[in-house]
Amino acid sequence: MQKTKIDLNFLYQTYNLLVYNVALQYVQNVEDAEEIAQDVFVKVHHSLEGFNQQSSHKTWIYRITVNQSLDFIKKKNSQKRFFIFGKRNENEYDYLNASSFEHPGIELEKKEEAEVLFKTINTLPENQKTAFILSKIDGLSNPEVAEIMETSISAVESFVFRAKSSLKDKLAHKYSEYRKNKK
Amino acid sequence: MKTKEIWIKSVLESTNGITQVAPNVALFSKIKLKIKDEKADPKTIWLVAASILVLVLLNISALRTQNFSSQEKKTLYLSETLSQSNQLYQ
Repeated sequence: MQKTKIDLNFLYQTYNLLVYNVALQYVQNVEDAEEIAQDVFVKVHHSLEGFNQQSSHKTWIYRITVNQSLDFIKKKNSQKRFFIFGKRNENEYDYLNASSFEHPGIELEKKEEAEVLFKTINTLPENQKTAFILSKIDGLSNPEVAEIMETSISAVESFVFRAKSSLKDKLAHKYSEYRKNKK
Repeated sequence: MKTKEIWIKSVLESTNGITQVAPNVALFSKIKLKIKDEKADPKTIWLVAASILVLVLLNISALRTQNFSSQEKKTLYLSETLSQSNQLYQ
């Protein structure tokens, strides 16, 4: 029991930034990211004794964070749908793009573009979104992303490629809107 | 390069150099509190279970008593309505 407490403390000190920032990239909301981080570490605490060391603590915690973030978005969207009787979306776009968000870790002059990017990332399917966030924003290598997503390296490459081309298409459509706002 | 393509490129590269943000300092305390709240005291669990059992037993005994008394009432009513003199024709 004491061992678990010490380990949780150690894991929190080592990975709290990782968990919080990944969650923030998914939900783009400070309060929700903290809620996800809480749930992740509670889950880590409960599963710590059963952790089988097949993957590293980092990969394991990344996986829990990604799953917890995706579940959180689904839960929020289903709550919203319940109240507005709306129809189900493929890519959980509703809740995430309800309000604007300026990421505190992004340089001031890039904040506007980053907001557009995050809004567009939210329209991607889950696998493409996860692969893009972990690979292009978190800067992980494809083998690392593959281990977290429990898939092959070639599948990750394909997800990232499709995510990038989809983002380019969607941004091309958004460009006219951007120009209108600039005028 | 067209302005549209420049803009798309700048949007795609806007997260380059992103810095990690620290969570609220009270986050770990909240986590520990959540873990503590989730753990129910075994004594409380046994106390709740025992209370439920007592309630169920009390309900069963109350139902049995009620059934018995209604049976008794029925018998009493029948005995009262029967002729006391054994004379069927007046």
